[in-house]
Amino acid sequence: MAEINANDIRLHVQRLAPKGGAAPDAPVVVMVHGMIMDNMSSFYFALGTWLADAGCDVICYDLRGHGRSERTPDGYSLADSLADLTGLLDALGVDRPVHVIGNSYGATMALAYGLGHGDRVASLTLIEPPFLIEGLGEEMARSLSQILVAMSDEEVAEWVENGAGRVAGRALRSARRLIEETTIADDMLATPPFSRDALAALPVPVLAVYGENSDIIDQAEGLAALVPDCTLVVLAHHTHMVLREATAYLRVLLGWWLFDRDAPRPDHVPPTERRFETPEWVTQMVPPPDLTSARRPEVAEKLST
Amino acid sequence: MSGTGVAQADHPAIEARVLGEVAEDLREVIGEEYALDLDITADTTFSQDLELESIEFVALADRLRERYGEAVDFVGFLAKMDVDQVINMHVGEVVTFIVDSLPAPAAAGSA
Repeated sequence: MAEINANDIRLHVQRLAPKGGAAPDAPVVVMVHGMIMDNMSSFYFALGTWLADAGCDVICYDLRGHGRSERTPDGYSLADSLADLTGLLDALGVDRPVHVIGNSYGATMALAYGLGHGDRVASLTLIEPPFLIEGLGEEMARSLSQILVAMSDEEVAEWVENGAGRVAGRALRSARRLIEETTIADDMLATPPFSRDALAALPVPVLAVYGENSDIIDQAEGLAALVPDCTLVVLAHHTHMVLREATAYLRVLLGWWLFDRDAPRPDHVPPTERRFETPEWVTQMVPPPDLTSARRPEVAEKLST
Repeated sequence: MSGTGVAQADHPAIEARVLGEVAEDLREVIGEEYALDLDITADTTFSQDLELESIEFVALADRLRERYGEAVDFVGFLAKMDVDQVINMHVGEVVTFIVDSLPAPAAAGSA
């Protein structure tokens, strides 16, 4: 069950259900993760197991080229990603409208899926979607540039090889291979902008979540203004990494969205112990300064002698 | 949990068996040569000792769900934690959860 063939590629899929199996009328939820430095595990642990335990039929999958899915040399355009998702739902035999939850680029993908395949979608939850009417491709390319800048620095490269440890080292090497050995960068740059007319006719309800301190928070109002049935939630003290930072609240919010939408929306209580801020290396595109100081002690010692 | 778990007297043997099974699945998920020689005990941590990636923990959970079937509710177990809590667990915590979940007759049988 972990691997299926969809749209002529091999995708890693995890389907999660409550003990005893999901009810026949349970919400079917599909989770679409972010680009390059992400895979299904972020959703699996933040919302996947929790929503399945709450009664949902949950589908998590690794996007093409990510996690444990096949890394094809090309096929990373938005249209390809949508075709992969349709192929996945067909291969799994899902014939009911699904609730799509996307994070970052996965949320942009989810919105495009709702526009192109409204009959297959029950609702959209968009967590921090890059959203622009003009220049969306350039925005996607900008995100890639941030990652490339961080990875291209000599000190960072040295850290990846010697001090990063297995987890960060593998994640960064895998990201580098994806960018260098596939067409993903060109495909991202070619991402078509959203159409105002299409957005105005979007036939499904949308829950949009942004962090107040996100570097793309200025895109939130534009989305909410154009989509007819849009609930916009802006979380104080949070950034683009809201899925990880505000997991507990997002679980409650999604429970409300999927099971109890007629009730008042649960309040978000901003964390008082910590305010999350977007780091300078994201906004200024310079390498993260804490990478080199994060060397493991034995490596720092080796390098200093 | 204790009401559905294995009899107290069987615990050490069952725990040893389950630890062996979890370690076997862990080595396959890590899939690298060094993993064959890893000494995996109940005190081994997924993050510090094994440096397990979160996507590898997904793969481990998948294998354990397949191995133990409906009897062990991994989804419910993981739903109570966030990703940091999951990855900071000791192997023994997963073993204890499995042993406590297994119905007594199946748990007492051979591997």
